[in-house]
Amino acid sequence: MMLLEATNLRKHFGKHTSVDGISFDIEQGSCVALLGPNGAGKTTTLRMLAGLLEPDSGLISFDGGQPGGDYRKALGYLPQAPSLYGWMSGQEYVLFAAKLSGLNSREAADRGAEVLERVGLKEHARRRISGYSGGMKQRLGLAQALVHRPRLLLLDEPVSALDPLGRREVMELLRDIRDETTIVFSTHVLHDAEEICDHIILMNRGRIAEQGPLASLRSQYSLPVIRLRTEKMSGARKWLEELASRSFVLESRFAGEDVMFNVNDVELARHTILSEAVSREIPLLHFETGSSTLEDLFMKVVGA
Amino acid sequence: MRSVWIFYQKEMLEAVRSYRLIWIPVVFILLGIMQPLTAYYMPEILGAAGNVPPGMLENYEVPSAAVVMVQALGQYSTIGMLVLALITMNSISGERYSGSAEMVLVRPLTPLAMVVAKWAALLTVLVLALGLGASGAAYYVMELIGPLSWGGISSAAGLYGLWLMCAVSLTLLFSAFLRATAAAFLGLLSAAAFSLAHSLLPAWFDWTPAALPGLSAAMLLEDGGALRLGPLLSAPLFIISCIAGAALLLRRKQLPG
Repeated sequence: MMLLEATNLRKHFGKHTSVDGISFDIEQGSCVALLGPNGAGKTTTLRMLAGLLEPDSGLISFDGGQPGGDYRKALGYLPQAPSLYGWMSGQEYVLFAAKLSGLNSREAADRGAEVLERVGLKEHARRRISGYSGGMKQRLGLAQALVHRPRLLLLDEPVSALDPLGRREVMELLRDIRDETTIVFSTHVLHDAEEICDHIILMNRGRIAEQGPLASLRSQYSLPVIRLRTEKMSGARKWLEELASRSFVLESRFAGEDVMFNVNDVELARHTILSEAVSREIPLLHFETGSSTLEDLFMKVVGA
Repeated sequence: MRSVWIFYQKEMLEAVRSYRLIWIPVVFILLGIMQPLTAYYMPEILGAAGNVPPGMLENYEVPSAAVVMVQALGQYSTIGMLVLALITMNSISGERYSGSAEMVLVRPLTPLAMVVAKWAALLTVLVLALGLGASGAAYYVMELIGPLSWGGISSAAGLYGLWLMCAVSLTLLFSAFLRATAAAFLGLLSAAAFSLAHSLLPAWFDWTPAALPGLSAAMLLEDGGALRLGPLLSAPLFIISCIAGAALLLRRKQLPG
């Protein structure tokens, strides 16, 4: 069942088109990663989903409702650099957030204590936020986003600004939360996405480059590849470029002395390359056959 | 409605934590009581400074109680208004630029509710500060100079407060779409321009909120005076349009940049 359907969203700022006609669905209970390099339009997309930015065109429909309907009660949102009132205590902020989202005082108090304990801030609940560390602020940010039991949780780069320890903590929390609600989070790190998500929306320059379930993307992009590296030598370079035009090479990518070939016939490719390397006396440094990963796909999309 | 109340409570808690609820009334009290004190002790002050030709102080007459009270309220149009602009300027703009507005507006809190709550919190601070300040001034005027009617004082202070609230509302409007300092500057400038226009062309601006300080003075000097309806109606309308404008601007641009 679809929780949210976005159709043909578009947003520009001045002359710059930030999001250029993207469509996607978010399934109830799924965890979706909005993946892409900086400037891909991830934050703008999340802000449109959160209702903070009006799309120039396109529709967002929540839970089968009318497009443009108000679903803010069912939404939890954590911006990239959450700005919490430093003069409040953690507990006060969570209660304030809960009440604004429509919980009554009693529910707010119960839920507030629950989420603060969950994110490990129970002992610090009465301290002023201005004295919190970056990781604690991020965890409090998660607590305020969760306190009203949102049906959709939108997180903008939740771990990007954290040190490895804080990152670990927040990732563990997300893994935990994943079972209760639908999560959409943006990141520029593929590894984070692979760690907890089951769906990926890969964005670049305001468009969706690829989207789908992680497993199917993985198998779809698990093509046989051969990676090669030679010593710096003009003959070697020429030979590599020649190889790229052979019939068994589907696609090639050069990065300095490193070359990656997507091939359709590994046996033939291996045989040809190795025998030619010997006969032409090419100083091979590295030869590897394997299959391409999502990392390759990501690099391809980002590099393009 | 409930969200206005929740946000108002947050604003008041902030006013307490930042000591705003204390220092602004203190400034208003000091400003208020300074006027009767200096008016009454003027000969002593000048005498202590020395170099005053003999005989000059003999003709000094303490102004009437009503005049001193009017002067005391007049203090609030300069330093008082500056202080109010300073606390108002950051009100919306600070939250927009820091990103905390984003985190509350994503919840079911409308921009209008947020603006109304902020306005109400500013009104609370103003009422408290002006109430205490005017009472302090009135107390010293009555102790040192002469009697005044509390009815006249409160209506004069009320009219003055309405004028100050117009300036606060205007600054709040600017704060909804400008940076804090620009908001304060424009707010103060417009208030000054308004007053100037009124003093230059009283016939044209007689119905505007800028006539309120004059009306407030008349309450004390003419004992009741003629209460004109124009400024009394235009001021609330002006305030309401400032609030509505701020809410509209905030709705259109919830995020800076």
